[in-house]
Amino acid sequence: MPLPAEVLGMLAFTLLAFWGIALWALTRTLRQESRKVEILKHQDRMDTYSPRALADLREWIENNPDDPLADRARERYNECVDVLTQTDRHFYDWSDAEIERLERL
Amino acid sequence: MADAPAKTARAEWGTRFGFLMAMIGAMVGAGNIWRFPYVMGDNGGGAFVLAFLVLLFLLAVPGLMAEVALGRYTNKGVIGAFRDVLGPGGMVGLGVIVLLVNIALMSYYSPLIGWTLYYAVHSLLFTFTASGFEAGAFMDTFFANSALMIGLHTIVMGSIAAILILGIRRGVERLVVYAVPALVIALVVMTIRGLTLPGASEGITFMFSVDWGALAASETWIAALGQALFSTGLGWGIALTVGSYLREYDDVPLGGGVFTALGESSIGILAALAIFPIVFAVGVEPDAGAGLAFVSLVQVFPEIPLGGLVAILFFVGFFLATFTSGLLITEVSVTTVSEETRLDRTQTVLAVCGGIWLLGIPSAYSADILDFLDFVFGNWGLPLATLAIIGVIGWVLGPKRLRMLAVNRNAGIYVGKWWDPVIKYVIPAVMLFIMGYFAWENFREPEMIAGMFVLVLFPIIGYAIMSVVEGRGEKPGTTEVTGGDD
Repeated sequence: MPLPAEVLGMLAFTLLAFWGIALWALTRTLRQESRKVEILKHQDRMDTYSPRALADLREWIENNPDDPLADRARERYNECVDVLTQTDRHFYDWSDAEIERLERL
Repeated sequence: MADAPAKTARAEWGTRFGFLMAMIGAMVGAGNIWRFPYVMGDNGGGAFVLAFLVLLFLLAVPGLMAEVALGRYTNKGVIGAFRDVLGPGGMVGLGVIVLLVNIALMSYYSPLIGWTLYYAVHSLLFTFTASGFEAGAFMDTFFANSALMIGLHTIVMGSIAAILILGIRRGVERLVVYAVPALVIALVVMTIRGLTLPGASEGITFMFSVDWGALAASETWIAALGQALFSTGLGWGIALTVGSYLREYDDVPLGGGVFTALGESSIGILAALAIFPIVFAVGVEPDAGAGLAFVSLVQVFPEIPLGGLVAILFFVGFFLATFTSGLLITEVSVTTVSEETRLDRTQTVLAVCGGIWLLGIPSAYSADILDFLDFVFGNWGLPLATLAIIGVIGWVLGPKRLRMLAVNRNAGIYVGKWWDPVIKYVIPAVMLFIMGYFAWENFREPEMIAGMFVLVLFPIIGYAIMSVVEGRGEKPGTTEVTGGDD
């Protein structure tokens, strides 16, 4: 019995939506892992936040200076800034101009 | 406990692949193999897939990100993680709820793993393709043999103990990096065999024909909700425990959230493609649960060319799926008990596995007890555990804090503000709805009454235990965070 076009379409969509995304995520995360390993062979530390995530973190620290976790957040922010300014290979897509504008908190 | 001697450095996953396979191995279990295909076909086929996909992205992906991130942030098991967030005191008992639910879950899951082991062994002996074989009679005889059931339960818990004693990297990781790919390969080969049989297209049509009207039916969404939450193991403490062994620069949201939820569900889809073309090709009625795996499919194997080999692929794969889940469910208790007591890992594994073995004897003795416990803990125990974990993240630690400090740190994808209300409001509301819905559907039934006991007693027991334990002395290195973050 030939399969109706609607069934074939749904089968293709399902495979793409589940297996497609799962395999994309698997490939992407394993590639990122290889890149991290490569960076850590070259230097002992690595940037921990993307530009967008670090900007979020800074904004949160500035808006919540008395939060019980503000010190820990500040530590993590400063750690990332230090690594970015002291190392030459970065995991995230940081431009030189963005790094120059960074300040410790 | 407070002055326990320092233990050796905490273990870590050896590879990224090991962590990912541990997550998939934990979450892919019996439900993916014997429930998902039927639920999908019975609830509108393609319409169910759409509803399931929406709920997966709305609830399971963000929820798993949160749970893995909490484990990674605290680097502790469930009780230690709760203590880090709540500070010492009786409220840490919320972690005890998760622990008790996991122990209860494993007590009836171990006998079920024993069933799959028994069928896997018989598939290797080509029992199912022998002349005169009767699937129904074979299952009835097996289920009536309590001594055999208890023996299998013992073998399963003994094997799990032997692997867990080896540790995270040398035990769990070494197994899952082979077991999960082996399961996928087995299902792929079975799918190819099934799709090349005459009449297989009826099975595909059953699963993937689209009944758009089903999208307007509440039953479709309830079924998809149950599958999205229970199949992914969200909030059971497994993702938290697995996440607590992540390495310094490991990502959480891409691997722990997106890959785990989609990868786990993809295996359910693959199981559907492996099973239903064969079932329909032979003309056996599709079913769900033990009926599908142990009767319908077993009747099919003698009817198809190379049926004996297909039976081996299916049952060995099925055993691997359930066994790796059992391994990680037990690891939740081992990690926590090891951290909270003076016992070393070997002593903890023996104590935990021994305790689960003892508690599992009634379920091994009688499948009715197993069914009863499965219903009670599936409908109320597990949602309660999820509510405890996601509730603590959403309402005490605060999703925004966790997103800043753990989710987006070393992340493979950026997680934005949309995530915060999902964790704080949507998932807890959905869990409350599920518990209420099942209570209403089973009003005054013995299962519902037992479920209410679980909902009331487990928090009281947890609070009482931790009030006494924490009262003996403050744990070092804890951070009390109050009030949420928004």
